[in-house]
Amino acid sequence: MTALSKRKSPVSVSKIIVYLVLIVWSLTTIYPFIWVIMNSFKKNAYIQQSSFTLPVGKRFTMQNFQTAFERIDIGSAYLNSLLISIAVTILVIILAGLSAFALARYQFRGKKILESLIVASMMFPVFATIIPVFRMEYRWGIVNNDNNLISLLSVILPQVAGNLSFAIIVLRGYIQGLPIELEESAFLEGCNVVQIFTKIILPVAKPSFATVSIFTFLWSYNDLFTQMFFLDRPGTRTITLLLSQITSQAGTNYGFMNASVILVVIPVLIIYILLQKNIIKGMTIGAVKG
Amino acid sequence: MNAMIYRKKGALFLFLIPSLLFMAVFLYYPFVMNVINSFLHITALGDKALGVNQPWYENYVKLFQDPLMGVAMKNTFLMILLTIVFQVGIALVLALLVDNIRFGTQFFRTAFFFPIVISASALGLMFNLVFLYDGGMINQLLQAIHLQQADLPIDWKDKSHALATMFIPVCWQYVGFYFVILATGLNNISQELYEAAEIDGATKMQRIGCITLPLLRNTLCTCLVLAITGALKVFDLPWVMFPSGMPMDTTWLTGTYMYQQAWKLGDVDYSSTIAIAIVVLGVVLSQAASRIFKEKEY
Amino acid sequence: MKRILAMVLSVLMAASVFTACGSSKSAATESKSDTPSAAAAGKKVSLDVVTSYGGDDGNRKNYEAAVKAWEQKTGNTIRDSSGTGNEDWKVKVMNSFEVGSEPDVLFFFNGADSNKLVKNKKVVSIDEIRKQYPDYAKNMREDMLGASPVDGKNYSIPVNGYWESMFVNTKVLKDCGITVPMVGYTYDQFLKDCEIIKNKGYTPIAASLAEVPNYWFEFLAYNYMSPTTFNTMPQSITDDAGKAWINGLNDLKELFEKGYFPKNTNSTTDADTNNLMAKNKAAFMIDGSWKVGWFEENMKEDMDGDGKPDIENIDVVFPPVKGSTRASTDYIGGISMGYFITTKAWNNPEKRDACVDFVSHMTQDDVVSTFCAAGSISALKNGVISPSTASPLVKKVNEMNKKVTGISAAVEDLMDNKSVRTPFFADVKNMVTGKLDITKAVGNVIAAQKAFQAQTSNSSEAS
Repeated sequence: MTALSKRKSPVSVSKIIVYLVLIVWSLTTIYPFIWVIMNSFKKNAYIQQSSFTLPVGKRFTMQNFQTAFERIDIGSAYLNSLLISIAVTILVIILAGLSAFALARYQFRGKKILESLIVASMMFPVFATIIPVFRMEYRWGIVNNDNNLISLLSVILPQVAGNLSFAIIVLRGYIQGLPIELEESAFLEGCNVVQIFTKIILPVAKPSFATVSIFTFLWSYNDLFTQMFFLDRPGTRTITLLLSQITSQAGTNYGFMNASVILVVIPVLIIYILLQKNIIKGMTIGAVKG
Repeated sequence: MNAMIYRKKGALFLFLIPSLLFMAVFLYYPFVMNVINSFLHITALGDKALGVNQPWYENYVKLFQDPLMGVAMKNTFLMILLTIVFQVGIALVLALLVDNIRFGTQFFRTAFFFPIVISASALGLMFNLVFLYDGGMINQLLQAIHLQQADLPIDWKDKSHALATMFIPVCWQYVGFYFVILATGLNNISQELYEAAEIDGATKMQRIGCITLPLLRNTLCTCLVLAITGALKVFDLPWVMFPSGMPMDTTWLTGTYMYQQAWKLGDVDYSSTIAIAIVVLGVVLSQAASRIFKEKEY
Repeated sequence: MKRILAMVLSVLMAASVFTACGSSKSAATESKSDTPSAAAAGKKVSLDVVTSYGGDDGNRKNYEAAVKAWEQKTGNTIRDSSGTGNEDWKVKVMNSFEVGSEPDVLFFFNGADSNKLVKNKKVVSIDEIRKQYPDYAKNMREDMLGASPVDGKNYSIPVNGYWESMFVNTKVLKDCGITVPMVGYTYDQFLKDCEIIKNKGYTPIAASLAEVPNYWFEFLAYNYMSPTTFNTMPQSITDDAGKAWINGLNDLKELFEKGYFPKNTNSTTDADTNNLMAKNKAAFMIDGSWKVGWFEENMKEDMDGDGKPDIENIDVVFPPVKGSTRASTDYIGGISMGYFITTKAWNNPEKRDACVDFVSHMTQDDVVSTFCAAGSISALKNGVISPSTASPLVKKVNEMNKKVTGISAAVEDLMDNKSVRTPFFADVKNMVTGKLDITKAVGNVIAAQKAFQAQTSNSSEAS
């Protein structure tokens, strides 16, 4: 029994309007993506002149993708990107989950100040913090280390810190909204706090964790600036970094840019669709609970 | 009961310390450096300070006198306002609508999310083509339906259109973000409450007003805080579409103006001062928002 | 003293352009005689190298090939961290020196950008290197190595230089009944042509005053100076340079007021205005040697339907000349980057030999020649070896380069990038629209540059 199937309502004018609104908005969000795909297969000269036509006939080319594959070791670039983003995501949800739980359920002195600090840390633009961080990490010897994995760590650590506060705020909001009765009964059955967290909070807050994971992954993956600053060695460069590097000077080579966008977006879409399923799972759990 | 479970504070430290350590080292330490730097004279990001400013609070005076900082502030406040009204507003409407339909929820969820998947700089390039003066999507469209003469295209990036041209894509992109958060929140609302209300004869509107919105309060408050902090940090899209405050210094935002000072003009100490202003503003505004939307404890 | 130096330099540069484009006979023999003490015996080393040939630089492939050739020849390895030579990259390079993570060999700007490296003794001078390796950089012209503004000494060996001149779209001109400008093209004729082009519905000048007014400023001010005098910063608004700048900016304002720039020149980007040329919608564009490759890449299709690729519509000519101080055939050019060896690597006995050998390899005649294939100038004594197959546009470039009589380096390179140049060019939009008085703006630049110099040069200035 899902939540959705319980509601019964006849086909009405209001339903049609609802669908109409939703469809119009989704058109605005999907069309650009289609536009990008279309133009990635088009010769550059035709993009500005006729960007809304299909890439057929003399307009069609595979050159844009060919250039990308020629210039980039795609396999290792994807691997580096995924290593960084997955590591960041996992660390963030573990650390933020614990902290959010603590902030949602515990009362202690200085909590208000702590919360303000967390909100404030969301405000630090990365270009304001990157230089001190670079110097610090250099002293630690993890920037441009001979070991590529350690070099990747130099990006992972600041990205974790940068995403934590967002994750804590969202997760805390969700956990706070959960009814406390479940935890109470678990407590009466003799569970300790850690068990309550792993056995009750984690499963019930799954949709929220999935949401946070998606955003963390996305931001880490698309965070060009940090990657640009820390990843110098050829073996450590990520897909986002490499594609932006070779497009940055292409100026108006829109065809190649579009192809780059596609190549960068593909893994993100796959991960999103995977986690999307997870959200649905989380929802069913929510329904059973309700 | 609550107090009983969570009275022992031992585990608390275990839960909080790792995160706080991360933030202290990678965010607060650089921020403290920022505060120190705001009093020093530094001309390049990689350099040591050349000395203390004369007078030491010089940058803070400059902050209030700099006309471009005024432009940036004005635009950022506008951005915050529009973010709250349109991003969160549209997201809420869409989330409520999707919550009320049976077919295609999965499709809409995925579709609304698309703009966030694509990096903002790529979107910026795309919108540049949409708003292009010469042969852009909108001008082509207007010419096709004869609302515009072929030799008199509208310059969507001139002084009178620039702000709208900048705000629309930014608002549009992140609607999906708040949509996902709100939709997750809506799913958390017990179905029984609705059923009970339905039996009591409440209309759909009443149900939304009396059940959904109050129960969504925490999530909405989260969204509000995120919207304020997000608006203060907006960077990529405006920077790609309107580099260097183009046209005629009308489109500066606090984020882009700070970047310009630090990376283009080499006024590192002043840019640190702007960073502090951004953080202070963010904390004050988000605190105010939380106060107004005072969170309910359950 | 400075003037004489500048004069000698510009004459020599002009001469070098001739040799650059004439076929050089002795080059082949020269390049065979190998550079200093090849691969040190014994241990193989690994060098950290940073250049601006990463990203999408036109010479990226040449660079990678040259690096690979060296690796194969010596068995050493290069750990390359090259990037795109933009502002972020500069900051990162400077930052790496500050924290001690600098590379062994660096390809970087030899002008004001590297002042700090020289002052803090982070890089080794060529004199110093020659004490041990007398043949170092001997295939280059001493006067063109790009001496440091700090002490007038040479620290780097350049590869390929640049020139700035005017690209024209001949299809647009033809449609307006205007002949392609030739040597002696006057400013008055230019104004008349612009008027005709504008009335025909085309854009006369493709330039974004909001983003890159640099090249038009350079040439309009250059019109009031000469190759020997142009490359000096004004010291006051009444000296020659100061007056030339004010006059040039007033000309720029006039061109703007007459509507010769794109209608949206104050709200558009450089990339968009470049496109006007590529789409046969604008007639004139002043830009540099780095744009040759861009035109070839973006105009290879036949979009105008005349049966030939559009690139054939592009020609390159000398910008219009006003007055008589600058000859019509004087243009702007120079060499702004070179290979440095860092002090850190120099003091490492294991790396010293390898660094010298690597830089020598990267700057030998045939390697430099491949980098100069698109018609850019070099500092080679024997000139570059002409490429066997030059594209039509490169041939036109070579034709123009043969006629050059005087070269001055771009004056913008004298300004401190962040505290002077960026704010100055950002203010051009305010000057042409009348929001900022031009004389006052030039005064601001002079003051800012003086403040910069007072702050950075504690040592005595080079004579």
